[in-house]
Amino acid sequence: MLGFLTARQAGLDDPLRLRRAESTRRVLSLKLNPDRDVDRIHGNGINTIDIEAIEGRYMLSGGADGVIVVYDLENYSGKLQYTCKAVCTVGRSSKYVHKFSVETVQWYPYDTGMFVSSSFDKTMKVWDTETLKPAEVFQFEGNVYSHHLSPIARKHSLIAVGTKEPKIQLCDLKSGSRIHVLQGHRAEVLSVRWSPRYEHILATASADSKVKVWDVRRASGSLFTLDQHNGDKSKASSEAVNTAHDGRVNGLCFTGDGLYLLTTGTDDRMRLWNSATGENTLVNYGKVCNESRKRLQFTVSRGCSPEFVFVPCGSSVAVYGLHTGELVTMLRGHYNNVDCCEFHPDYQELYSGGKDCNILAWVPVIRASDVEEETKSANQVQVLITGNKIWKNPKVLELLHLG
Amino acid sequence: MNRKRALISDTFKVKKRRYGTQKFGAVSDGDGPTDIRATLEYLMTLFPRRLFNDTLPQIVLKHQLYSIHNDKTLVDKELNKLRERGELLMFQLGFDADTFGLVFASDYKAKVLAGEEGRATRATVEKFLQKLPSPCTDLSFTKDKMLREFLFTDSEITQLVKSGVLTVRDAGSWWLSIPNSGKFTKYFIQGRKAVLGMVKKSKYSEVLKAELEERRTTSHVKFHMKYHIHDIVGAELVESIPTTSGILLRFVEP
Repeated sequence: MLGFLTARQAGLDDPLRLRRAESTRRVLSLKLNPDRDVDRIHGNGINTIDIEAIEGRYMLSGGADGVIVVYDLENYSGKLQYTCKAVCTVGRSSKYVHKFSVETVQWYPYDTGMFVSSSFDKTMKVWDTETLKPAEVFQFEGNVYSHHLSPIARKHSLIAVGTKEPKIQLCDLKSGSRIHVLQGHRAEVLSVRWSPRYEHILATASADSKVKVWDVRRASGSLFTLDQHNGDKSKASSEAVNTAHDGRVNGLCFTGDGLYLLTTGTDDRMRLWNSATGENTLVNYGKVCNESRKRLQFTVSRGCSPEFVFVPCGSSVAVYGLHTGELVTMLRGHYNNVDCCEFHPDYQELYSGGKDCNILAWVPVIRASDVEEETKSANQVQVLITGNKIWKNPKVLELLHLG
Repeated sequence: MNRKRALISDTFKVKKRRYGTQKFGAVSDGDGPTDIRATLEYLMTLFPRRLFNDTLPQIVLKHQLYSIHNDKTLVDKELNKLRERGELLMFQLGFDADTFGLVFASDYKAKVLAGEEGRATRATVEKFLQKLPSPCTDLSFTKDKMLREFLFTDSEITQLVKSGVLTVRDAGSWWLSIPNSGKFTKYFIQGRKAVLGMVKKSKYSEVLKAELEERRTTSHVKFHMKYHIHDIVGAELVESIPTTSGILLRFVEP
């Protein structure tokens, strides 16, 4: 690490390399920290969590009892021991709470004044965070498994919704109407995801083992269907043509740059696809245990080199190298099945929620400072190595010209 | 200072140095270049030839290699290279969509021809083996391909199926297969079940790998114990945990 620092100082290396190296080191040292806790509000399992993209300060969680909670992740208390407090809750006593379990929650990508939640009570509600009342309710015919708002969309404000019906609905936030339907799947749609690179590209995964990629501007069907054998018809039996997995496909995740798409299926496999061509990159992750009958929320790290995939696997979270497929580590700490996990890119922290009603925060281990460093007072180097909030401090960023 | 730019990922590779020749417990394989061909040949020696009276070529399963080498993607890539060079043939063995058997091409051809000695179907099989494109990366053939590319007639295709070189996949397509491999599949599945049962019945459903190799096998286990151990570890039916007394195999609930 000192090599990276010296190279950065002398101008031999790009500033981004040092940042990536430190991010990677932090992700490799993720551990449960006794000082960091998340308030326990849910009485039942936690199905989904989402961290807002603007500040990275507020986290939403949706539970199996229909309760939605907003947490504040920032630590302004000055003490090391910190519990992420719940700022507000849509509890069972609220008039507008969902009747059954909340499957997906997502913040509005541009500010925290609004969030969208969808649930097994066949509705999707658009909430006003200030008043905690739904501004809009969309009704559907079947259980809503998953919804997603495009994080980069400027020209449209569509929410893609995957329900028990094989048709994917696109709901417009601006007008409040269901304007578009995407046909092509033959069974329930378990997961939908917009591409973080192009605002019109949508990927959908269904229980019929297929993953389709759509361009919503196009009137006729999907762009392409992902094929696990890459067109090599000799490898599988003829019913398995054009399938992404040999079972239900229940998890979708784009990498941070949108160039690759990860899918998980109930055949206990995870596959990495090139999102532009639909080609299976054939990275072999081995057996990724997956028994979920609903959507599986997994995530990819951002800002590291090489990137890591965090997949809930039974009661632990498995960390794989994205392009090598090797299992880096298993994060054990939950008492029951883990359902969802979310990566906080600014602090390289992982939050995971599961059936044991806990949200656990996996925090990078801070390197213990040496005796000499403790005696020096305003030592900038020490602050860099041991502080984990320093990358966000504008003064330091300015000093290092990293901002 | 090393002016060459190193990959960020290399900084975090931990290289353990072993001093002295005595190795306690965990034996890991070195970080040297992975030699897939050598591993294949080692696994081939574990295959019991005399059990089948030498009629079968030595078969190794693809996932057995995963138990020896850590990087599965690398193993896959190397195997594809060997297949493209025409040295290795891959077969769909039929009991699992994901299980593939590997046989050296020269071995396969020799054994198939030896098995066809004095049979009526010999000429067709010889013709088929000659026509087989080398390097052959296909696992199955459609009727179209057989009729047009290889110029076989229907009756010849029937003869090939009879001789065991092709097995029916569905209407109009066939898997490439190893003749008389039914016995192999039967003994293999039997043995796998027996070994898994041995691990499961142990206290806490776990057993040291060295101890399992020493155990007396029942009559159900016809193959070498090591062959089965590589199979169950590679297929992730048991978890392989390094401990100070060696590698521990723990049964994984499906």
